[in-house]
Amino acid sequence: MNTIWIQIAGFKIRLTSESEMELEEGYFPFIIPESSADIDVQGYSGLPENPFTGLLPVFEAENDDQKFYSIYRLADHRLGFAVYNQRERTDIQQIAFLSVDYRHWEVYSRPLADNKINPLRYPMGPIIMYYMTVNADAVLIHASCIYDGVKGRIFSGFSGTGKSTTSRIWAEAGYLVINDDRLIIRKEGDDYYAHNTPMYYVDQPKKTILNSAFLISHSPENRIKKLNGAIAVTRVLAFCIQNNFDPDFVNNNLAFLSNMCKKVSVYELGFVPDSKMIDFVRQNETE
Amino acid sequence: MIRMTNNLKILSELKSQFVTRAIGDELVIVPLTGNVAKMNELFTLNATGKFIWENVEKADTVDDLVGILTDEFDIDTDKARNDVASFLHKLETTLPKVH
Repeated sequence: MNTIWIQIAGFKIRLTSESEMELEEGYFPFIIPESSADIDVQGYSGLPENPFTGLLPVFEAENDDQKFYSIYRLADHRLGFAVYNQRERTDIQQIAFLSVDYRHWEVYSRPLADNKINPLRYPMGPIIMYYMTVNADAVLIHASCIYDGVKGRIFSGFSGTGKSTTSRIWAEAGYLVINDDRLIIRKEGDDYYAHNTPMYYVDQPKKTILNSAFLISHSPENRIKKLNGAIAVTRVLAFCIQNNFDPDFVNNNLAFLSNMCKKVSVYELGFVPDSKMIDFVRQNETE
Repeated sequence: MIRMTNNLKILSELKSQFVTRAIGDELVIVPLTGNVAKMNELFTLNATGKFIWENVEKADTVDDLVGILTDEFDIDTDKARNDVASFLHKLETTLPKVH
């Protein structure tokens, strides 16, 4: 039996399989020594035949360009996932089953060319990361995150609004980029922390306390507006990864964010993509 | 969906397809959905909208709702009617996107 332990945002995941496993290199720095596990992933080689016959999906993760995965509710209340190959697009690369406590996965994978399997092959890895958060004080969010030695700030927005640009500007000024695309935010004690997650490139696990969240867009001039209450919560929620077919998931996100927004300041930020945004942000934060 | 203004019971039934959370005087409303593309149709209601949302089952007609509103808040009928119209317009322009 082959076993690998990884830790993401403090969640410990045990991967076990009779087949040899091969992870994408972005996961390598997240591998930890043998440990207890919050999440168990049992990997299998080969796909079961027609596991969801007669079922309609309860959720489809797709956009105009790509289909990522479909979710089914099984008769025993477990969730079933058909995960699509992101190159072939229509081809199913994995079938997965998730226990009702969201802690135990069975992941069936098409074997790689050398007969190894990769149970976390994209987008399966981020799916598992999302379901780590549904029962925890945590959210998975599309955002970049910077730590300047004093404060942690996330910058979130739709594709093309400047998350990577923001990271580059702060990195060129010498500040620490926690991640420029996908984070897990967790409540730890009375504070909130932003953690990076494994990406397609290699980066070390990092975290920072979170002080401010900026909802960004490009603008002809730098401008900032503090958001409060329900507006702040909905604006941040819009950038969280969500499978909103289950009211429990929505309630968990709303509870988490409504508490987080009391502690973490939320701003709407229009910015000109140059280094002046750094001083502008610092001078105009109200807290 | 325009018929909703004439039949508030439809709105009452649609409420089960949303998750809400009160934040101060406001209400966050998130649709339950089967598709990731529709995740951003969430919206907020102010104190008046929140009150209407929470009491819509008690009204059969818009006039009923206007009456409930004037009983609760210190506003006249014209203001209440405008608030109800504004609330229903907001739902009518949002709900068709998610259903």
